[in-house]
Amino acid sequence: MLLSAREVTRSFGSFVALAGASLDVGEGEIVGLIGPNGAGKSTFFNCVAGDVPPTSGRIVFSDVDVTHASASAHARLGIGRTFQVPATFEEMSILDNVMVGAFLRHHHRGEARAAALDVIEFTGLKALAQAPAKSLGTPGRKRLEIARVLATEPKLLLLDEALAGLTPGEIQDAIALVRRIHAKGVTIVIVEHIMEVILTLAERVLVFNQGLTIASGKPREVVNDPAVIEAYLGRRHARDPGAHAP
Amino acid sequence: MILVGVVLAAFFLLYPWLLADDFYGRMGADVLLAAIGASAWNILGGYAGQISVGHAVFFGIGAYLPLLAFTHLGLPPVAGVPLAIVISLGVAVVIGLPTFRLHGHYFSMATIAVAELIRISISNWDYVGAATGLMGPAVSRTWLDLSFRSPIPYYYLFLAVLACLLLLTWHLQRSRMGYYWRAIRAGERPARSLGVPVSRYKLYALLLSAAFTSLAGSLYSLMVGYIDPESGFGILRSVEMIIIAALGGAGTLFGPLLGAVILIPLQTGTNSLFGGGGSGLTYILYGGIIVVLARFEPGGLLDLWRRTSQRWSRWREKAAVGHAA
Amino acid sequence: MTVIQVIVGGLLLGAVYALFSSGLTLIWGMMNVINFAHGEFVMIGMYLAFLIVTYLHGGPLVFGPAAAVLLFLFGIVVYYSLIRHVMRGPMLAQILSTFGLALLIRYLAFWLFSANFKTLPDDLLPGVFNVGGILIGVPQLVSGIVAIVLTIGLHLLLTRTAVGSQLLAVAEDREAAMLMGIRPDRMQAIAWGLSGAGAGIAGALIATFYYISPTVGESLALTAFVVVALGGFGSVPGALAAGLAIGVIQSLSAYLLGPVYKDIVVYGLFVAILWVRPEGLFGKAGA
Repeated sequence: MLLSAREVTRSFGSFVALAGASLDVGEGEIVGLIGPNGAGKSTFFNCVAGDVPPTSGRIVFSDVDVTHASASAHARLGIGRTFQVPATFEEMSILDNVMVGAFLRHHHRGEARAAALDVIEFTGLKALAQAPAKSLGTPGRKRLEIARVLATEPKLLLLDEALAGLTPGEIQDAIALVRRIHAKGVTIVIVEHIMEVILTLAERVLVFNQGLTIASGKPREVVNDPAVIEAYLGRRHARDPGAHAP
Repeated sequence: MILVGVVLAAFFLLYPWLLADDFYGRMGADVLLAAIGASAWNILGGYAGQISVGHAVFFGIGAYLPLLAFTHLGLPPVAGVPLAIVISLGVAVVIGLPTFRLHGHYFSMATIAVAELIRISISNWDYVGAATGLMGPAVSRTWLDLSFRSPIPYYYLFLAVLACLLLLTWHLQRSRMGYYWRAIRAGERPARSLGVPVSRYKLYALLLSAAFTSLAGSLYSLMVGYIDPESGFGILRSVEMIIIAALGGAGTLFGPLLGAVILIPLQTGTNSLFGGGGSGLTYILYGGIIVVLARFEPGGLLDLWRRTSQRWSRWREKAAVGHAA
Repeated sequence: MTVIQVIVGGLLLGAVYALFSSGLTLIWGMMNVINFAHGEFVMIGMYLAFLIVTYLHGGPLVFGPAAAVLLFLFGIVVYYSLIRHVMRGPMLAQILSTFGLALLIRYLAFWLFSANFKTLPDDLLPGVFNVGGILIGVPQLVSGIVAIVLTIGLHLLLTRTAVGSQLLAVAEDREAAMLMGIRPDRMQAIAWGLSGAGAGIAGALIATFYYISPTVGESLALTAFVVVALGGFGSVPGALAAGLAIGVIQSLSAYLLGPVYKDIVVYGLFVAILWVRPEGLFGKAGA
């Protein structure tokens, strides 16, 4: 079990964002997290990524308790993440952006640069390596974020709506990229709204609603689960599952 | 590019001989000294993005210790330099350690609070000269006193120190340290997610910056031979470092030097133009420049130059294509 | 007896600190921007009082509201012309913008009014109250009371009025506020206006019992920083409590240790707060 999260909760004052979520991810899996807005999946995601400390619960990664570890400790241990709103280093070139990631594993400039160039090639950004990050559009920035975090050589990659806002063609490219990453042996947890992506990529899906996990299983099963449909579309539609996949 | 660099380097090396006049020699030394302080500030503020508005605290410590060593122990002022650096590093830790894990504003506020704290304390402490200040040796007792009548030895000393500082900065900004600093400046949250130990690297930048700022202060009292709370720890000392770095280009290697080359002669000019009490007008100007920079050109002149020359070469390309078609 | 007098004096002064610090904490909580020129806003209020008394022969009832209105407008102007733009930019621009503004205003004041201290005439708010042996100057008493009333008023404005809740909504979650139809830009401008007004009135009040000079801005700004840090950023009630506390601490330090120590102790306290409890007494978590 690469990642094991148990009963993770997170409250902000009296507001309970996450009321208890659990997730086990085995090595080599691709797991999807879905759910309506405000369901807690982003909060859960941020807890696993080390951005936000859980109020209670336990998160273990590679046999190390990371419940209260810092975000940078998470990265060092091999957990990488992208951001929902791309947070690239705007004024730095694409190559420099990726080098920041590479420097985690390679302390010398030459090695870091070589490793970064490899990743840039792998993610198809080679032609733009010297361009500043701010010259990219949103799809480019999302791809850069993926390249940057890949340079940290993560064992577990957390993708936060990495495919949102892309055209159908771009989505196909992105899915192909995620598959290539997975083929290299990286375990992936992906938060996504676009059902097509989840159905195509995820082997297993966890559904969030109102701070709890309400269903889990294979994508096709979950999508037809009445509880899931109710969460997305309301009680009325749950009585007629076949016609209203969310 | 390289040719320009060689010409400029030659100019700096030969400057005192080119303009063989004590006034210009002294101005050259002032320019270099200001460039050292601003370049030191630049490591923390320009590269790592942590804005210290009370950096004079390190300058003042560096300026006071040598003159204290002379006044109370009869030592050559240089002897006070290492202790000044040690104390500056200590103060840096006191300021930086708690604030670097908080939002950036706390750090900035802390720098000015500590600078003021020390300035007021020194102003009222007779042992360190109180408001009157301290003086250095009137004449050199031995060469170690480094008390020269001509500005030329100071010029070359400062040039050497500046060259070392810039070389070190150049090396660091290409290394892991430099990349991590720039990542921190660009975005702490994504930097953390990539494994950057943000607080620790901020502290490294601060320590390095504090050490060299302290050295700048020591060089100042070596040359001027006098220090008081205002010229050591005053807000105007901090302002000078910031505006010089920001005008030239914070986060670039030569920005601070460019800023010094422009501002120090300008300051000498306005001070003589508006008379002694004209320091008020000079600082109105400084305040205005800082606001304009912040609002329109935070990257400073070098950034403006870079963007303009890019636009210029793109325009030329288009024109060439137009010609061909 | 005299210690109690010192404490009472400190509380009254602290109330004025609370007044101008509450504006600063509002801005900080809403936009994560520190106004390094805040002390200069107070100074403008002081000089406005001086000008109105000297050239228009107006009393506190004239220059008080005048300072409030003029600095409210000034705050809005500063927001729209400067702050709104730099907020979206690098930290360097954000910090330098208000820092440069502080310098600009301070040295303009030097140039216009010279470094000589000015004071308002003694007969504006004449008299000294004697409450059981404790002597309280009328200006100090009036200032303290007005300051407390206005600070509480600001708190009520924020928590009980529509405008206030809109301001707090933007402070809480900008995106969500936008979705609710609130214009963050306008709210932030109003916050800057309120902050300016608070500073302006505080300046006008202080001018009735303290000397006026271009340099007061620096120590007032630092005092405001300490109050905001102690009270918790974003918290007006915190600013009130902290302001009173700092006023007392400052006065007691001056009385027990010597006048020079009044600032030393307060700035030292600031560093201690940063080490021990940076979120302050009432601060929002995750500063």
